Amino acid sequence: FRFKDSLAEDLQSAALVISHAGAGSCLETLEKGKPLIVVINDKLMDNHQLELAKQLHRDGCVLYCNCSTLVETLQSMDLSALKPFPPGQPEKFASFLDKVFGLQ
Amino acid sequence: TGGHTTEILRLLSCLSESYSPRHYVLADSDKMSEAKIRSFEQKRAETFSESQFSLDRIPRSREVRQSWVSSVLTTLYSILYSLPLTYKRKPDLILCNGPGTCVPVCLSAFLLGLLRIKRTIIVYVESICRVETLSLSGKILYYFSDYFIVQWPDLKKKYPKSVYLGRLV
Repeated sequence: FRFKDSLAEDLQSAALVISHAGAGSCLETLEKGKPLIVVINDKLMDNHQLELAKQLHRDGCVLYCNCSTLVETLQSMDLSALKPFPPGQPEKFASFLDKVFGLQ
Repeated sequence: TGGHTTEILRLLSCLSESYSPRHYVLADSDKMSEAKIRSFEQKRAETFSESQFSLDRIPRSREVRQSWVSSVLTTLYSILYSLPLTYKRKPDLILCNGPGTCVPVCLSAFLLGLLRIKRTIIVYVESICRVETLSLSGKILYYFSDYFIVQWPDLKKKYPKSVYLGRLV
């Protein structure tokens, strides 16, 4: 899987996604409206991945756990309680840059 | 690298053709970003036929978990390597979002600005992954960028000179 160009097809047909907390994986999954369980890698130094997972969890958009609690999470999960994830707005960025360069 | 590339391509998605030609700078060890970039640019060329872009590679300034001391040395090496590239391209705008690769490129542009060779506007957008703390690149470039954009309100509070536009990607 490591070298597959896009997981879009696999994502589309999935009923549940269990993923590491990489931004790309989380965002792609949430944007397709798929329920997501984020698994944190305890061993990666500084573990900033945790910040996004925690925030998404605070917003009620994902479930999260680490490798050792995954089974327990799967057993007790309630996917219907997950909230939809509003999309980001790159147009705001474009608008901001346009103002910086006097292009508006 | 991977996540950063996906994010930055999303940031680029709404830009007009005024932001052209686009010069992408990648770490030499990055295997996956090139395909994503080419795919993005190919799609873009369907709408904007005059669209132009290029790809350059520089030595990776820091590996994950690399020690502090050796990171300073490898970053210095990357800055020296980036100088001729930045000098050649003389960009009006540098857009980056946090991989180690961006630090030497931005610092080399900053240097060229100090030397009055080319004044480049440096816009840094911290990754959406960064909710409460800045990345190391962010901590450095907070002081060297013209506009430092964060995507979560906590960071705006901690770094008052930053710009908060909400979630962008």
